[in-house]
Amino acid sequence: MFSLAFLQTALLYLGYILIFPGFLFCFVIGLLLCGIDRKAVARMQKRVGPPILQPFYDFFKLCGKETIVPAAANRTTFMLAPLVGLAALVVIQLFIPVFNFRVFRNLPEVADIIVILYLLLIPAVSVMLGGAATGSPYAGVGLSREMVTVLAVELPLVLVLLSVAKTVGNALGNGLVFSLSGIVDFQAAHGSLIGRVSMIPAALAMLLIIPGETGNHPFDAAEAETEICEGLLAEYSGAPLGIYKLSHAVKMLTLTSLFVALFLGGIGTGVEHLVAAIGLTGGFAAALSLILQVLILVLLCIVLTLVTISFVHAVTARLKIEQLFKYYWTVVTGLALISLVLAWYGY
Amino acid sequence: MILMNYIAAFFLIVLGLYTIVTKYNLVKTVIGLSIMDYGVNLLIVTIGFNPGGTAPIFTFSELNPSSFFVDPIPQALTLTSIVIGACVTAMSLALVMKIYEQYGTMDTREVRRLRG
Amino acid sequence: MMNVLSYQHFPIYAIMVLFLGAFLIVLFGKNKIARSCLALLSVTGSLALLVSLVPRVMLNGEIITYWMGNRAYAGGYAIGIALEVDALSLFFALLIAVAVFVSCVYSIRYMEHDDNIPQYYTLFLMLAGGVLGLVLSGDLFNMFIMVEILTFAAVALTAFRNTARGALEAAFKYLVVGSIGSTCILAGTIMLYAQVHTLNFAQLSALIPGHLNGSTRVAFALLFVGFSTKAFLVPFHPLAADAHGAAPASISVLISGVLTKSGIYGIIRLVYFLFQSMGLRPIQFMLVFVGSVSMFVCVTMALAQHDFKRLLAFHSISQIGYVLTAVGLSTALGISAGLYHAMNHTIFKGLLFLAAGAVLHETGTTDLDRLGGLSKRMPHTTVLFLIGAASISGIPPFNGFASKWLIYQAAYLRAVETGNIGYLLVTIIALVTSTLTLASFVKVSQSVFFGRLPEEFKDVKEVPFGMRFAMSLFAILCVLTGLLPDLVTKLLSGPAAQAVLNPIRYIAAARGIEMPVENAALPQAAGAWSPINWLLLLGIALFAITLVALLGKYDQVSENASGEKLPAKYDLFFSGEKSVYSQVGGGDLFWGFKHNWRHYFSFMHDLHSGVVNDYALWAVVALALAIAFLQIVL
Repeated sequence: MFSLAFLQTALLYLGYILIFPGFLFCFVIGLLLCGIDRKAVARMQKRVGPPILQPFYDFFKLCGKETIVPAAANRTTFMLAPLVGLAALVVIQLFIPVFNFRVFRNLPEVADIIVILYLLLIPAVSVMLGGAATGSPYAGVGLSREMVTVLAVELPLVLVLLSVAKTVGNALGNGLVFSLSGIVDFQAAHGSLIGRVSMIPAALAMLLIIPGETGNHPFDAAEAETEICEGLLAEYSGAPLGIYKLSHAVKMLTLTSLFVALFLGGIGTGVEHLVAAIGLTGGFAAALSLILQVLILVLLCIVLTLVTISFVHAVTARLKIEQLFKYYWTVVTGLALISLVLAWYGY
Repeated sequence: MILMNYIAAFFLIVLGLYTIVTKYNLVKTVIGLSIMDYGVNLLIVTIGFNPGGTAPIFTFSELNPSSFFVDPIPQALTLTSIVIGACVTAMSLALVMKIYEQYGTMDTREVRRLRG
Repeated sequence: MMNVLSYQHFPIYAIMVLFLGAFLIVLFGKNKIARSCLALLSVTGSLALLVSLVPRVMLNGEIITYWMGNRAYAGGYAIGIALEVDALSLFFALLIAVAVFVSCVYSIRYMEHDDNIPQYYTLFLMLAGGVLGLVLSGDLFNMFIMVEILTFAAVALTAFRNTARGALEAAFKYLVVGSIGSTCILAGTIMLYAQVHTLNFAQLSALIPGHLNGSTRVAFALLFVGFSTKAFLVPFHPLAADAHGAAPASISVLISGVLTKSGIYGIIRLVYFLFQSMGLRPIQFMLVFVGSVSMFVCVTMALAQHDFKRLLAFHSISQIGYVLTAVGLSTALGISAGLYHAMNHTIFKGLLFLAAGAVLHETGTTDLDRLGGLSKRMPHTTVLFLIGAASISGIPPFNGFASKWLIYQAAYLRAVETGNIGYLLVTIIALVTSTLTLASFVKVSQSVFFGRLPEEFKDVKEVPFGMRFAMSLFAILCVLTGLLPDLVTKLLSGPAAQAVLNPIRYIAAARGIEMPVENAALPQAAGAWSPINWLLLLGIALFAITLVALLGKYDQVSENASGEKLPAKYDLFFSGEKSVYSQVGGGDLFWGFKHNWRHYFSFMHDLHSGVVNDYALWAVVALALAIAFLQIVL
């Protein structure tokens, strides 16, 4: 049982969870995306903006601050909720393939896209419960809005995922592919899904879903600072608040890389051939191609962040919660529905 | 003759349902339930009836392939069903009494604290 | 002559032990200890007898046929009264026995302040015995008798706390519409008897598919509507809401976890065995349609509720809608998923009702607009409630997710297989309903357990250990059945689904013919989900993050135990306004959602008028529709 091979495997997976594509990767890239977003929005609004590394400074500063648990709060829930939310996000990141790289290549797959859909609810639920546990009325209003946002985003997201599953299944002729690595494998062989007619509306819908799911402007009614004092986070301070900010950043990474896996999965997969073409082989070549793939992924995530989060942020004003709901259940759902119908009839 | 029974049975069932749906008095609702029960009982007995058959009471020595009698099983079922019907009536009348005590009315349109 | 201790007798013993307990409690129930012991003994005995049958029936696929008084076949006709226990019956019987056991444990402390407790236990055991008799019976008329027994007991128990708001009214409505349903079952039974002159279920199943005519079609419709009233499917859902709201929590567990299952069981027996009609697309359509409508209508009704138990009641029917939809898909995966969900529904719904009962027990109200902040006073109940809420909302890794996930897979696979866009719609409804369920449980968490504690509930205490123990049993089951989906499928829902798909074995077994078990492969889902691995990953990640978080500075002021005034920084933030009691919660928490659906919600509110005539009219309309539909398509 406790052989060297076992130890090696255990260490390898520990490395996956803690370093790449797990905790450390999420931490660095997530906060980086956040910094780029802030800078880009500032520039679009003709401000100077904070330095790109500002989210890192913020995080470490918050960790150094005193954590005040309000006397009215339920202490356990208050402290535990941010941790569970972040852990759930980090685990989701493990399930999202980086082009050819998968954490679970030699093991049965842990979660398919439908599971990921519901795993994405865990961070939302944990922030809601954490806020609710404080008893603050601002948190109550924030909770109401956060839940309605989740409801609003869920329907189009479901439709997008179903149409992707159906499109890949159609193309492979076996009905359905729910497995995310199966979807990426398919794209590696047959080109990215974004090139298909039926997937264009779905990709557009997904682009609109990303800011809603992360709770970015203009879909941030749930934590509207100017009216309800950050809503659910009103009573948080110190390290737990830092972890919530980090979760928000990681969520940006998770959703953009999910978009890459779903629609752009074919872009980075040729890297191995490229590396082989310049005459490299062995472990070094594998490492190099992995690094290149990660770089491509990060680059794509940055572009997606700029397009879906920063640009939309800069040009719009915050929606009221009922407008937000209506928008998602009409416009975005409509786009996703078009895509599903097209996929259904084999386009 | 038998057809008349079937028609009567279904007429009673429909009459019972009609009473339950259209009458706004709690006691009338209970009466509707009873009428519906009687309709079903009549249906059961009618199904077991063979024209010209004798009562199904035989010893083993008397029983032979040519003996012709009405089906005994539906009769047994009817007895059970009558008992159950009586229970329903008793229980619902008990409830009606208590409701009248609490609500002070027999009108179903006013007995609706639980709604929505 | 069979040995009296032989396993063939166990099914009848399992039923009789409950009725015997009911009888003995009437005699000796004056003494508190005696009645508790008797009730516990009979439910434990019943559970143990059923569990001992699991290896034979579930694993070896044996079908136990038991003839009362040893009167088996004569002249090709089954003249005796039979109990026939196949994997499907045993599956439901186990669910029932477990729910009854936990509910009984809970009742001991929960009911101790009520009057007439002996009568309560008598009716409780009659209800349990009735449902158990229904699922183990192999005789259609006996099923009717058991339906009547359980309806009676349920009505009486609904009105048990007859001073509670609306209890009598709820019982009366339930009795009226329930009697219409029972009468439908009786009329359907007798119309089948008129055609083939037998009441034995196996023999009916052998003969009816060859005897389809106008009369049997009407009988089908009557039986379907009859069993639907027992499962409270739409349009009978208001009865469930009323009954649950008024009944004691331990009885709500039985009504939602056990009584609705008896209706589902009846429908499965009806469509898969009696008429063997699930190959027909219209019948599949009927089941899936009724299931999806129940699923959606009830979840939206639940969102509009202001009462904890009424809200739970509507969710109960919504989940039953999932079960019926999955069963109606008529694939091995669908049936297995549906049965799995039926089991999970019993467990998590039981847990939630018990949690609601705990709140009622301590605060005396279940009004969402009045409660708040109980998590500080009832921490254990809060945790148990959250487990139940996460389960029913389909949050991984709890059991509700495991079975709902299978249902999504089954529905979408079916959509792709048949190319029917209706099944696609069903998949989407199922997926969205799950999130709506989450919304209303977030509402309950905020309105009851979190938020601010009202002044009037300042001195509320945690419930006694006996009640927490019962809730913990359900909570443990919630986690276990969620983490081990493969085991559950292999041991319980898989064999039951195989039994559903093999009515021929059931028919043959009644004649004493043992047919070999077809070792069909267990249904496979298209996707992947391994909860244990996920939990392992989450655990490691959580550990790592906790280590990082410990870098932060934490103050050591914990609870305000000494009662002294803490510094102002521990107060809640009110933007400088004076701090007054301000709980955000209650029934209308998600107005942003409801605003967009306001026409729908006000329409539904007006529709559920609470007048018994309206509900009876719905029953009649449902019956007429069912008869017309089946005459046309079957």
